[in-house]
Formats: sequence, structure tokens, C-alpha cells
Amino acid sequence: MEPFVFFGGKGGVGKTTVSCAYGVKSARSGLDTLVVSTDPAHSVSDVFEQSFGDDPQPVDGVDGLSAMEIDPDTEVQRHLNGIRQSLSDQVSAAMVNEITQQLEMAHQTPGAYESALFDRFVDVMRESDPYDRVVFDTSPTGSTLRLLGLPEFLEGWIDRLMHKREKSIDLFEKAAIGNNEPRRVMDGDPVLNRLRERKEFFEFAGGALRSDAAFFFVLNPDQLSVNETRRAIGEMADNDLAVRGLVANKLTPEPDDDEDGRGARYLRDRVNTETERLAEVRETLDPPLVAEIESRTAEVKGSLLDDVADELDVETAAEAPTFVG
Amino acid sequence: MDLSDRIERFRRIVREWARGLYHGLVTHPAYEKIEKEAEDVEDAFILACFPDAFGIPSPVSYYTAELLPFLEDEFEAWERRLWDRGTYLERKGQQYHF
Repeated sequence: MEPFVFFGGKGGVGKTTVSCAYGVKSARSGLDTLVVSTDPAHSVSDVFEQSFGDDPQPVDGVDGLSAMEIDPDTEVQRHLNGIRQSLSDQVSAAMVNEITQQLEMAHQTPGAYESALFDRFVDVMRESDPYDRVVFDTSPTGSTLRLLGLPEFLEGWIDRLMHKREKSIDLFEKAAIGNNEPRRVMDGDPVLNRLRERKEFFEFAGGALRSDAAFFFVLNPDQLSVNETRRAIGEMADNDLAVRGLVANKLTPEPDDDEDGRGARYLRDRVNTETERLAEVRETLDPPLVAEIESRTAEVKGSLLDDVADELDVETAAEAPTFVG
Repeated sequence: MDLSDRIERFRRIVREWARGLYHGLVTHPAYEKIEKEAEDVEDAFILACFPDAFGIPSPVSYYTAELLPFLEDEFEAWERRLWDRGTYLERKGQQYHF
């Protein structure tokens, strides 16, 4: 299977548990595995009971497994500082104030977090060399889909910007009479160069997502979750990305037949509802249901994670990336 | 001063006047027009990069902000031109020197 595996889904369905369990499963089968959390509300640390930062750190007790948590705040700040640095190298002091204002505004726009996350996870894919498998625990459905839809959208945007820039430089060159120096020259224009770099970055991201990534959705056996999953699959298809499989999490355990207390009746009713939902998932949704994970009485961590990993019927063998490299 | 010198001087003056007239009437307005057009395209470029300067949130301004260090002159000129420009008609009319 593809080296990059994404787990997505509605908030609270257990994406983190499933991604961590899959990470453990991959590591146990001998793959060097990295679990990356791109959800600003991080919980990978809670699952492994160990704190992780922006750089991959080995997980205690599981050989070959590392984890990291991407913090969008830090990423936005890093980006801002990088530009500030090149500003002070390039721009006269008088203009710095003017431009800094614009710069800070750009880093407070609604898209800044998403862009920062996107940049970072593409970097992770690009530098995935030491790992055979990278598991992404993504943020809830909406923002993840927007993240994955970004490359194509941005490529088109950059194209239009480059076209405008080229046109204005071309006109400036034509306007330079005789021996006059044109105000801008096409050769080595730093703005065009920067745009071109960005375009390559987005092309890489799009290619890596399309050819080296597999997507799974985690859902709970209730109507809201099933509906959202159906919509999400549709949106993924709009972005030309196929969902490989669905993972049903938090299934209610069935009571024994001879039990007839209040608790047993409750469980039996609940199981009936869930069976209906699961049947609906099997019949109406296209991606196959690859795992059914029972709800646990305790939080899933430690040895419970191994149990969950066993229930995950997702193959672990990783192919080498075809696009990245 | 003999005749040939006077003819030579006369021809030089005529040539200079002709070149001046041609430049003032034809080449300069033409180049000015092209340069103005170039500025207009550049304005559109910068506006596309930084619509949030006008309160229009843009999903890409995070990325276009990377261009700011290289756009120092353009950015300043852009702001100046935007303040300066009453109407589009006025801007287009500037090339006709009545």
C-alpha cells in the first residue's frame, strides 16, 4: 500500500486512536513508522502518554515508531519570521513599517492556519525518507478536505499571478526606449522566481497526494457520522482523491443471550440501531468497511492500543513512494 | 562661412527638430502608453496578491506575503498610484497632453 496514510473523519469519532493503532500495527510489522498529528487540538500525546513536539520523537515502548505534532501557531510564526528576515535584508528601513503591516495582516487571515499546516505536512512528506510509512492523523473533516483540495486550487492561482507578472514585465521591457534601462527585466526577476518555487511546491504536493497517499475515514455507527462521511467521500471525489476504506469505531458490545437486565436490554437495542447503520454503510457507501472496533470501557492507550491494532484490517506492507523522492 | 557650411548647419537644425517632433508626437506618447499599461497590469498583479489591503480576505495572501520583500518599490508605487487615481478615465486620459 501507499507509504502515506491519512485518517480523517468527523470530530470525536476516534481518528487519533485509529491512527495511533495503525501506527503501532505498522511498526510491529517491521516498518519504520511516523505518526503525524495535524489536528490543532492534539491528542497523540494523550494516547501514548508522552509529549511530542514539532520534531519526530521515538515513542516509548514501541520499536520503530515515532510521532510528532504540528502546531499551526508555531508554523505561522516561523513563516512570518522568515519573511521578516528577508525583509530586513532587502528593504530600506523606511518601507519596512509599511510592509510589516501588510505582512502581519496576511498572517491573520482565515486561511493562514491551513496554509501553515499544509506547508508543514508537505515538508514531512518530502522529508519522509527515513520512514517507510507516515500516518497522518488529520483534523476534523471540513478543514482536512480543504487542505487536500488546496494544491490544485493554488496551482491555478499561481499560474494566473505569473501570467500577470510576465505581462507587466514584458510591457516594461517594451517601454524602454533605445538605450534606456527597462524598469523591470524578465531575467532573474525575484518575484517570478519565488512564484515558480511555490508552483513547484504545490505540484509536488498534488502529485504526492494523488499517487502516494491512501485515505481512510473513521466513523461512528450513528446517523450524523454516516451522513457526514457520505458528504466527505463526495468532496474527496470532487478533488480527484479516492477514499480507500472506512473504519467503524466505538461499536457497542452485544450482551449474552441469557441476560435480560436493564443494561442488557439497552445494549441490545443499541446494537440493533448500530447494525442498521453499518448495513447502510455497507450498502450505500462505496469504500469498503475495513475495520469494526468495539467501544472500550477504558481510554484506548498502552496495551489496549495493540488490541485495537489487531482489529484493524488494513494491510501494513508499504511500497516505496513513486512520486516523492 | 561658405555656402556648404551654411547648408550643413541648416540640415543639422532641421534634423534635430524633426527628431524632436517625431519623439514628442509619436515615440514618447507610444512608450508612455505602454509604460502606463505595464503599470496597470502590475497594479492588477499586486491587487491580486494583496486584496486584504482593501479588507477582502484572501486565502492566498499567506503565500503572496512571501513576495513582499521583493516588491518594495512596486508596493510603494502601487499605493501611491491608488491614492492618486481619481477615476479610471482620468488615468487613461493622462497620456493625452492637452
